[in-house]
Amino acid sequence: MKKKLVAVLMTAAMAVSLAACSGAAETTDNATETPAAEATETPAADTAEEPAAEAEIAQGSEDAISNLIAATEGTVDLTLWCSELESYQNTMKELVDEFKTTYSDVDFNITIGAQSESTCKDEILKDVEAAADVFVFADDQLNELVQAGALQAVTATYTFDPVAANGAGAVNAASLNGVCYAYPLTASNGYFLIYDKSLLSEEDVSSWENLVAACEAQGKKCGFDFANGWYLYGFFSGAGCNCTLAEDGVNNVCDWNGETGLAVAEAVKALCSSDAVISIGDADARAQAKDGDLIAYVDGTWAIEDFQAAYGDNLACVKLPTFDVNGSAVQQGSFAGYKLVGVNSYSKNVGWAMLLAEYITNEASQLKIGANTQEGPANINAASQISSPALSALGAQSAYADLQRVGGNFWTPAGTLGQSLYDGTAEDVQKALDDAVAGITAAAE
Amino acid sequence: MKAKRVVGSFFRHLLLAILAFIWLIPIVWLFVTSFSTDPGIRTTHFFPEHWTFLNYQKLLFQPDTVANFPAWFKNSMIIGIFTCIISSAFVLMVSYAFSCMRFPARKKLMSFSIILGMFPGVLSMIAIYFVLKMFNLTDSLAGLIVVYSAGSGLGFLICKGFFDTIPASLRESAKIEGASELVVFTRIVIPLSRPMIVYTVINAFLAPWMDFVMAKLMIRSKDPADWTVAIGLYNILQKTLIGQYFSIFCAGGVIVAIPISILFIIMQKFYVEGITGGAVKG
Repeated sequence: MKKKLVAVLMTAAMAVSLAACSGAAETTDNATETPAAEATETPAADTAEEPAAEAEIAQGSEDAISNLIAATEGTVDLTLWCSELESYQNTMKELVDEFKTTYSDVDFNITIGAQSESTCKDEILKDVEAAADVFVFADDQLNELVQAGALQAVTATYTFDPVAANGAGAVNAASLNGVCYAYPLTASNGYFLIYDKSLLSEEDVSSWENLVAACEAQGKKCGFDFANGWYLYGFFSGAGCNCTLAEDGVNNVCDWNGETGLAVAEAVKALCSSDAVISIGDADARAQAKDGDLIAYVDGTWAIEDFQAAYGDNLACVKLPTFDVNGSAVQQGSFAGYKLVGVNSYSKNVGWAMLLAEYITNEASQLKIGANTQEGPANINAASQISSPALSALGAQSAYADLQRVGGNFWTPAGTLGQSLYDGTAEDVQKALDDAVAGITAAAE
Repeated sequence: MKAKRVVGSFFRHLLLAILAFIWLIPIVWLFVTSFSTDPGIRTTHFFPEHWTFLNYQKLLFQPDTVANFPAWFKNSMIIGIFTCIISSAFVLMVSYAFSCMRFPARKKLMSFSIILGMFPGVLSMIAIYFVLKMFNLTDSLAGLIVVYSAGSGLGFLICKGFFDTIPASLRESAKIEGASELVVFTRIVIPLSRPMIVYTVINAFLAPWMDFVMAKLMIRSKDPADWTVAIGLYNILQKTLIGQYFSIFCAGGVIVAIPISILFIIMQKFYVEGITGGAVKG
């Protein structure tokens, strides 16, 4: 008897779950269709130039928004994930409050969550339905998010055209196969050289050789995270080596074990043979900078505050130094990254989610975020209104920077390669490179 | 002869002292770093250069968007207390049933639950997540309480061993007087097994209090006010935050240990009795 009861209960539970699933799927489908139908189609190409067309868009977008408002019943629940940093959280809160006032006809319940952009993809793909409606993520996660169908393409816009308003690099990073999938937010996920200008001259920081000599002379250190593929990439890309995603978008192609790569690796190894060069991570570097040992380090905007505390008014930033390959100076390259705002295609309020994403990435919002967080805006107009030593260093470096497009198998082998070059344990540099390339290009499972 | 023994004892204790020193270093470092005026990690010094209570003050009285410790502590406390009550009750009842009652398939059920307990709980995590999502219990403290306490009855083994040591004649005489199983359980067995209850309670509180994996899986909210202590402290260790919050993290680590320590100090007397008592007869 009891067994039967259990069986009946199990069946009931399963039936309920099946019903729940199909129900949820239906609602999302409906929701995804609505905004596309209501919002005006504004193809990117023909918007930018003609003022007449712009006026039309303005007219059309007002209609689209009023349609959206008219179609909304009850409270609109939205979740927004953005960086865990306090400055970000507070700024986003301000922006969300402004958004609520702007569209005061509608009741909003907007929750702001703290989620690092660098791991956003993992959290979203764990359970897309339960993820945020609007989220900030780093541009290298775009491919996988698009493949998983988690991103709502930016095919229709309400208030402005993100493709025209943002820098070409940022728009390129937000697009895949010609379709824009996200709203560019910042353009400062890159690295540059931070140094103490009371101890190092501009001449000293122009090349790694000069920098090392200056540090040796003063008994100080300069640091670089050799064991991190993200930074190490700069040496190889600067010399013209190639490492990027293969056509399939998952695996890597890499030619670091070629002739140029060998010369670069030898150069790095030679550089590391000096005691003045240390390979340390971010957190350690900040501590050593405060102690006064470390007077130059390659890092990004997120570390500026700590280095400011360490170096005070002597903080200076500059593009990465050159380094010597086979007797000629080669400019070190880097990765350039963007933060993008994505809209979850499973969101129950896709229309409002898109409008919110637009709002927090518009010129005024980007300006505010830039001012409060040290980050550089992706918006062209906003970028021209903000300047800081870090951002101008990034700007100078951007000519030598590549978009971060490497598959997951890049990081560990590249890190190991960097560590072995730094330690000098790689007797046979060619073999170390061959091993690293084999690891990097190994097929992802 | 005596001199030899003294020398031997000296070296034994020296070895123990060295080992104790090594094991205590990380804890001491955590403790002293929690008083550091420098917010980040200082690997160049063991002891902070300047001492302050500010980290504790910030942690407890000035929650910000990153470190909302009071909320985390409250959430963990709620989960811990409820799980503690529910799972202690489960364990005691299951143990009583297996130890004192006789019913068909008792032995088989016992072996079955022991085998079930041998599977790592991690295996079922994803399934648990989707089942609870179905009932809309993810992202809630209630869901976590269910997760932690639902299967706790399986941990009956030690407690059952203790109940076995309570003479059957006591229960029988109570039954002759007309006592039901419930009365026997609450009036006879429970009062006699105080050390065992203490052990069960401590265990039932510790598991949810220290758990990270389940909490991280179940709580999908990114609003720091919804997190438990484990998730919140882990979050602080991200590379963007660690430079500003490491000493606060250490302070949090010290404070987390306080409820456990208090529980232990109060119940320590019974705890040893409990472990050894249950082991006499298995």
